[in-house]
Amino acid sequence: MNIYFKSLKLHLKSLLEYKASFIISFLSQILVFFSYYFVIVSLFSKFSNVKGFTLYEVLLCFSIIQIGFAFNEIFSRGIDTFENLIINGNFDRILLRPKNILLQAMASDADYVKASRLIQAFIILIIALINLKIKLTLFHIILLLLMIISSIITFFCIFLVSASFCFITIQGLEARNVLTAGGKEIAQYPIGIFKKNIAFIFTFIIPYGLVNYYPLLYFLGRVNKLSYAFSELLVIFYLIPSIYIFYKGIKRYSSTGS
Amino acid sequence: MKAYYTYFKLRFITGLQYRQAAIASIITQLFFGFTYIFIYLAFYQSDTTHIPMELNKLITYIWFNQIFFSLIYQFYKDKELISLAKTGNISYELLRPKNIYFLWYFKIIGQRLSMLALRFLPMLIVVLLLKKPYSLIAPPSLINFFLFIITLIFGTFLSTALTTLYPIITLKTLSDKGIVNIFIVMADIFSGLVIPIPFFPTFLKNISALLPFQYISDLPFRLYIGNISVKTGFLSIFMQLIWTIILIISGYYLLKKTLKRVEIQGG
Repeated sequence: MNIYFKSLKLHLKSLLEYKASFIISFLSQILVFFSYYFVIVSLFSKFSNVKGFTLYEVLLCFSIIQIGFAFNEIFSRGIDTFENLIINGNFDRILLRPKNILLQAMASDADYVKASRLIQAFIILIIALINLKIKLTLFHIILLLLMIISSIITFFCIFLVSASFCFITIQGLEARNVLTAGGKEIAQYPIGIFKKNIAFIFTFIIPYGLVNYYPLLYFLGRVNKLSYAFSELLVIFYLIPSIYIFYKGIKRYSSTGS
Repeated sequence: MKAYYTYFKLRFITGLQYRQAAIASIITQLFFGFTYIFIYLAFYQSDTTHIPMELNKLITYIWFNQIFFSLIYQFYKDKELISLAKTGNISYELLRPKNIYFLWYFKIIGQRLSMLALRFLPMLIVVLLLKKPYSLIAPPSLINFFLFIITLIFGTFLSTALTTLYPIITLKTLSDKGIVNIFIVMADIFSGLVIPIPFFPTFLKNISALLPFQYISDLPFRLYIGNISVKTGFLSIFMQLIWTIILIISGYYLLKKTLKRVEIQGG
């Protein structure tokens, strides 16, 4: 674990050598992220609700998914851009070192510019919470934290599984875009507003719904079942097969030789 | 002129080689089209008191965004040209006795058209085969259709003029991230690719009216579905032309100015 944090620190140091460039990239990322919630805000300027959900309820849903995604883009960036490691042969170097392979792969890159998304997502979360006027008990706060953590885990699993594909295809898969970017687009909204079969896919196959829909219903006081409140914990069970697939892929790995 | 045409043709033919990439992007494009439609569908089923356009028109608009994506999308950084600017290989380009700005302009337009050529028909067929609410609607009149074609062609010229600016800015700043990205996101939002302009909150709609981006794709698509009157359509063609000329002239002189003091970064 030590080596992971050390690498992250090094990435940060090398980034700060180019301060002006960092600041401009940071600003441009703020704009990129703005275009995401701009859609939601625009839609709610024309529609009063979506299947009974109001603006701030949707924004809460949105922020939880975005926090999970942005967090992984910063701290497991190496997995997200895993095909680079394989294409330029750097994965061989990782295999040679007597340290944990997964951690090394994660630490091989870090995209701190994406912190601008993380910060904005948290700001939106807070704005949504203030406007929702929910009485925040300790239980609510724990629930919210669990949702955020499980959102992080979910995206970690998705990154890991799609990285595993790189062992077979070398090139990153376009299909990954459909899973992450496209799925994320849907998961920004409460999954219940969609048709049943879409909701099913994005609850059980890719567990976005477990992360930010069922717990949200409980959080907003629409459903009073504890099974809803803690559905996000099921995400942990996705972690085991994902890591297993990744290590299975390593066994198949043959270097590209460069 | 012949040299520019050859560049255009070369890029067009080279682009046609990338069929695998085209298939992958068609699938992605279709998936995103459906995703957006499902999102809007949920909204339309909830409340229709203040909608700026009917659902079937909106669906056509969304599909056009996806079908003509290669012509109109703004996150287009030409890898070859950007790397020319960054690595110093621009020196080879400088040796050629032709104007670099127009070389680049025609290269980009060739690339965009070859991407469109591979994606356009299969996507159109798939979308036309869809069931009623999800498919395309016919334009309200023939004039609308012709205006759509004309404005789409001019929109492509405009969009290319914007895209040609990116390698030029890169040449000046040596980075294709910062300023270029800010530019791209602005173009993305204000061209109606993120969400159609009629859905904008009033304040931003007013800003978008002052900018060139709406004339790239929002104008032709809304002419097709009949969301903009024919009269406004005719007037807007002039605006398209004016903006295209302004952008080409400013790109041309920016490049000229930059090249006067260009430093080759190694070789």
